[in-house]
Amino acid sequence: MSDTTPRGAAARSAVLSSLPNPVQRTLERMGLPAADFAHLTGALGATPKDTLYAQGTLKLHHFRPQCESVYRTPVLIVTSLVNQPYILDLVPGQSMVEYLLKQGFDVYMIEWGRPRQEHRHLTLEDHVLDRLPRCVEQVLQHSGERQLSIIGYCIGGLLSVLWAALEAGKRSGKTKGSAPQDSPLKNLVCMATPVNSEGLDSLRAWMGEDFDEEALLAEHGNVPAEWVQNALRALRPFGKVAGAMNLLNQADREEVVRSNLRMGKWETDNIPFPGGVFRQMVRDFLRGNRLMDGTWDIGGRRVDLSAIRAPFLHLLAQEDHITPYGSSRDLVKRVGSADRQELILKGGHVGLVAGRGAELRMWPALEAWLAPRSV
Amino acid sequence: MTTKASASAGANPASNGAASADWSSFSPARMWRDWIVKSEAQWSETVSQLLKDERTGEALNRQISELQLMHRQFSEFAQASLAAANMPSRSDLEALDERMGRLEDGLAQVAAALTQLSQAVAALPLATGATGATGAGAVARKPSRTRRPASKA
Repeated sequence: MSDTTPRGAAARSAVLSSLPNPVQRTLERMGLPAADFAHLTGALGATPKDTLYAQGTLKLHHFRPQCESVYRTPVLIVTSLVNQPYILDLVPGQSMVEYLLKQGFDVYMIEWGRPRQEHRHLTLEDHVLDRLPRCVEQVLQHSGERQLSIIGYCIGGLLSVLWAALEAGKRSGKTKGSAPQDSPLKNLVCMATPVNSEGLDSLRAWMGEDFDEEALLAEHGNVPAEWVQNALRALRPFGKVAGAMNLLNQADREEVVRSNLRMGKWETDNIPFPGGVFRQMVRDFLRGNRLMDGTWDIGGRRVDLSAIRAPFLHLLAQEDHITPYGSSRDLVKRVGSADRQELILKGGHVGLVAGRGAELRMWPALEAWLAPRSV
Repeated sequence: MTTKASASAGANPASNGAASADWSSFSPARMWRDWIVKSEAQWSETVSQLLKDERTGEALNRQISELQLMHRQFSEFAQASLAAANMPSRSDLEALDERMGRLEDGLAQVAAALTQLSQAVAALPLATGATGATGAGAVARKPSRTRRPASKA
């Protein structure tokens, strides 16, 4: 496995930094030099792309099309605020983005970036009423189209839903069950998107009235990435141990080891939660459950899910411990689209979008639904 | 409206690994690992149930508050000690990180502006007219937006 040439050593040391520290430590404890495994992850998020728009930490990427002809409607992927977007574009052959490109979609992606102290006041209003609409505008301008499809993952799905509801609400001439013709949204796809905090009972118990979010934000400004990571881990406390055992059982299968290292890197590469958004999520979403109550105001405007009339698909994972079914099942019932569907697939929160299971189940299902609606 | 979908082939890499049984499948260490993998869901569920209890949440929050206080006191102490030793503290490094972040964002804005500009130039008739393509693969030609889904046989 080890390449002892100077060139090989240089390449290993160059990519060594891409390995997550816990993986390095584990390998070293096992008496295995981490450098020999570093090259296994490969470069992550490497599908060729151009950055079309950047403002603050926000970047809008356009992936270079890989087909002679593409579907008319461009696709904008809205990623989560607390995870790196490259989970949707790990490496060639393990990338949802690459799959969509090969199927003939014109793909754009929002990368929210890593908030700094100066961004601690960023709120949902900033994301839903300013940053996201600007990206939509840029996509439409760049593609030359009047409408686009949005794919939102996890909190990115929630942001997409909030934007879609407010955008639809402000348009006149609501026709029951169908999207207004002047709406920029042609299709909306959500993946593992929570809308009902009653289904998030662990987080609700932890971040109930006793939880002092103001003290946390006063101390840190934004919620540190380690907090986000620990909170997600606490939802499945022994998941890491089981994952390690699974890996040991398959240590002789190089592709499994590679895939595991990639996922491991992504899982330890969280992004701080912008302070202002975190405050709103704890108060209005988690404790108040205002989206379900129909009392959530964003920028002084009421969010009404039934205002969403665009064709709608919600992709869910059967064993999702981060977005349990109880927190996501109401979305498809609440949107006002005549053409709406919920698809529950085998796997977990991450396995829904990346890995072998996603390649076999979710990506083809997404393509089958989206392609006829993208012409 | 709701559909449950599954695919049997290669659904779970873990089960595939177990299916290809070899001598190592019967090793005690492997059996122990398999047992842990199978029991994990149950253990995690038990702890999750505990976390769902409001009293656990309260206790957890008390712990977090105390930890935060300790963290702040230690940070202040460490910062003073490092300053006395003329060494950079964590907050100094964080300030540097913030500055680097601002520089990276600035560069991204310049890169985005350049991308927009080069694409606009490439779209001009003069840029593509003479050679029929853009130079050195700088900007790929836009594909036609006429694709239709393949009809199912």
